[in-house]
Amino acid sequence: MIPVWSALAEFSLGAVVLAPLLAAAVSMLVPLPARRVLGAAVGLLVAGLVVPLVVSVSAGEVPELVLGGFEAPVGIHLRADGLGAVFLAVTALVGLVLTGYAAVLPAAEGRCAGPKGWQQGHPGFWPLWLGCWSGLNAVVVSGDLFNLYVGLELVGLTAVALVALGGRGSWEAALRYLFVAVLGSLLFLAGVGLLVSVTGTLDIAQTREALAEVADPEAPLLALVLMTLGLGMKAALLPMHRWLVPAHSSAPSGVSPILSGLVIKAALVVLLRAWLWAVPLSGGAQSHAAVQWLAWLLGALGAAAVLGGSVLALRQTRLKPLVAYSTVAQIGYWFLAFPLLVSAEHDDALAAGAYGAVIALAAGHAIAKAGLFAAAGLLKDRYGTDEIAALRGAGAHHPALILAMGLCAVGLIGLPVSLGFTGKWQLATAAIGAGQWWLIVVLAAGTLLAAGYLLRGIAPLLLQSEDEPAAAKPVSVRERLGESAVMLLGLATIGTGLLGAWLGDLLGVGAWW
Amino acid sequence: MISSLDITLGLAVLAVTGLCLIPRSRLVITMGFLALGIVVTMVWLRLDSLDVALAEAAIGTGLLSALMVWLAVRSPEPPGAGGMQPSPRLPWLRPLIGLACGGTLAVVAAAVWFRVDQQLPAWQAGVEDQMPDTGVEHPITGVLLAFRAYDTLLESAILMLTAAAVLALCRGGGLSDPGTHRLGVHQTSAPMPPVPSALPWAARLLAPALMLLGLWLLFAGSAESGGAFQSGAVLAAAFILLRTSHVSLGAATAHWLRPVLVGGVVVFILAGLAGPVLGLPWLSWQPEWAFAAVLGVEVLLTAGIAAGLYTLFLTLENPEGVR
Repeated sequence: MIPVWSALAEFSLGAVVLAPLLAAAVSMLVPLPARRVLGAAVGLLVAGLVVPLVVSVSAGEVPELVLGGFEAPVGIHLRADGLGAVFLAVTALVGLVLTGYAAVLPAAEGRCAGPKGWQQGHPGFWPLWLGCWSGLNAVVVSGDLFNLYVGLELVGLTAVALVALGGRGSWEAALRYLFVAVLGSLLFLAGVGLLVSVTGTLDIAQTREALAEVADPEAPLLALVLMTLGLGMKAALLPMHRWLVPAHSSAPSGVSPILSGLVIKAALVVLLRAWLWAVPLSGGAQSHAAVQWLAWLLGALGAAAVLGGSVLALRQTRLKPLVAYSTVAQIGYWFLAFPLLVSAEHDDALAAGAYGAVIALAAGHAIAKAGLFAAAGLLKDRYGTDEIAALRGAGAHHPALILAMGLCAVGLIGLPVSLGFTGKWQLATAAIGAGQWWLIVVLAAGTLLAAGYLLRGIAPLLLQSEDEPAAAKPVSVRERLGESAVMLLGLATIGTGLLGAWLGDLLGVGAWW
Repeated sequence: MISSLDITLGLAVLAVTGLCLIPRSRLVITMGFLALGIVVTMVWLRLDSLDVALAEAAIGTGLLSALMVWLAVRSPEPPGAGGMQPSPRLPWLRPLIGLACGGTLAVVAAAVWFRVDQQLPAWQAGVEDQMPDTGVEHPITGVLLAFRAYDTLLESAILMLTAAAVLALCRGGGLSDPGTHRLGVHQTSAPMPPVPSALPWAARLLAPALMLLGLWLLFAGSAESGGAFQSGAVLAAAFILLRTSHVSLGAATAHWLRPVLVGGVVVFILAGLAGPVLGLPWLSWQPEWAFAAVLGVEVLLTAGIAAGLYTLFLTLENPEGVR
């Protein structure tokens, strides 16, 4: 790799965090139209900055930045390994499209109290969303446990505030989300504190080395339990999911896709960093048995989430809560794979397969769910309701939107060609390799239920309405542009499905094994 | 060796925590919280952690209490106690589950804590070796603004975005008034409730002293205990005191609040960009001008922190501007 390219990757590693943060600060000083322009420009810049990082990682390098030139344990390292590169790229893709979506549709930013009562469009969206993007990138590239906590706080706080932009009705859901997010962060911080007390370092790689020499497994285990509990709350793993549905469904239409698509993935990335990178699982036999027990518990909760979340989604009568319950169900798949990640046989191929499945499912979900939520929000803003019965026949005015929703549904159900399919296929293969047939049953049931609830949500839009909805106002140019943003996400759902093999290679770079 | 003072302090923490949790009246809870802050500050002093004690006293106790006193005075009774009511059929069930969970957690955590072989932080030697490169003398300031400057930057950004969030929930969403550069949030000019006449007098007397204390904490920070966060909290307290006692800050606030709020973070990032421009990593400052960079960033951060904390207080009143 040419040196200029490596230097560019090192620069990008800091810039993907600091450029959106600088833009968030500056955007607070300018009027609303300028905020939209600034947001779109920075979105393009960040997407451009991610390119050298992904190119470097796909060439087998792990770009690393030693901030301030102070080596760990004194300073902080940023790294982009395979996991980091995948989530940087997915965040850039989804973030850029959603930035465009929010810039053209004022209602997507939220509702703001003005001199003439509540009005559409919200200037607060831009500093908060750019700050959130900065936090998401900070979490993904961080190589330091305390810095992970700070990044999680940045993401959590801005996400809560973004929910609250939905007007008075969303404040209660936002407050509940705030309590859960803060409690989750505190539990994670307690785990970090416990790890530092036995290792004396915050750097993730050094923590792993130090823990390999710690004889007593109790402290790392308790730390892992605390972190898992805190991150489980933030990722809304059943039964800690109750905050998600009101928060994600009452948020503005530009915010729900950010929350469901990107924000909960931050908790997943940190959880994987803790389980696979920071705390070595191949410690003593005793600790390994306990970790496996924990992984089985997560697997069982994941199965319950897939089935319970899907059944609850089937019972919804409104579109946005339906999509939110679908998120609860999809979160379950990521946890289903945990028993395979730490199987007793130390089978690296098996663990790699399960790991690839988790990432493919999470990345596929980020794109497809962002698209579906953006579409649901667009319909809700246009027709003033997201009651499925009231939206009957709305598809006649939005053929492209319905097609895009169908493409996203392909990814969420897990049909070929999509990352959802790749992930489920890899998970099933790993499950067969480990002889865990029950996983196949859960996967099949989850897939059927997903097809059911998505059909229930989308099909009525295509039916002929009894009372002719032709009286509805014509679709504006801005709404057409918003629809094309959804279409981009729908096409990306299918397009990324072709990248499954490349994704596997990318994930091997800097992996924990 | 555990002295009787330590035991007294520990018991005091428990007793005062009970005072914060058990009473129903918000005023009593707030007073309990204030007392808890003082006791916890004493615990930190007893542990020889002057910097933590200062931060606890200034932010954890001082500013948070100001927000809680405001809440307690405005609405003394918690609205409808919410989910705290016992369930009608099995009133003992929730307390029992709570006690069982709390007990288990305490036993497990204590058992692990006493068994582990605790390590001293591995960074102590490194901090001493590399202090000369940072341009400051106090190790804690060195950690905050050189070794882990990135964490400090993100934390300042969190405070800035918290202020952005509360401004966004106000009428106008944190924009300027049409055609001007003045912040369009109506609270900047809203009158405060009447107070006893002694308070304005005391506030005018105290404000210069608080300003001086804040600035001393800021500039002492490079060599002794103190720093941007503590200093910003003291300065914000001075502003809160002045606003409560009817000193007119409205025009200055409307003009300067947002620029000051974002100034620290903007300059911090631009100073961090000097590294890559000179071919060094992000956030690198060369020893020759490291002190100037650290001082400049710290002054602006202090102003930003004070503005952020003051914004939280400013926007408490009537956020939607409904009459």
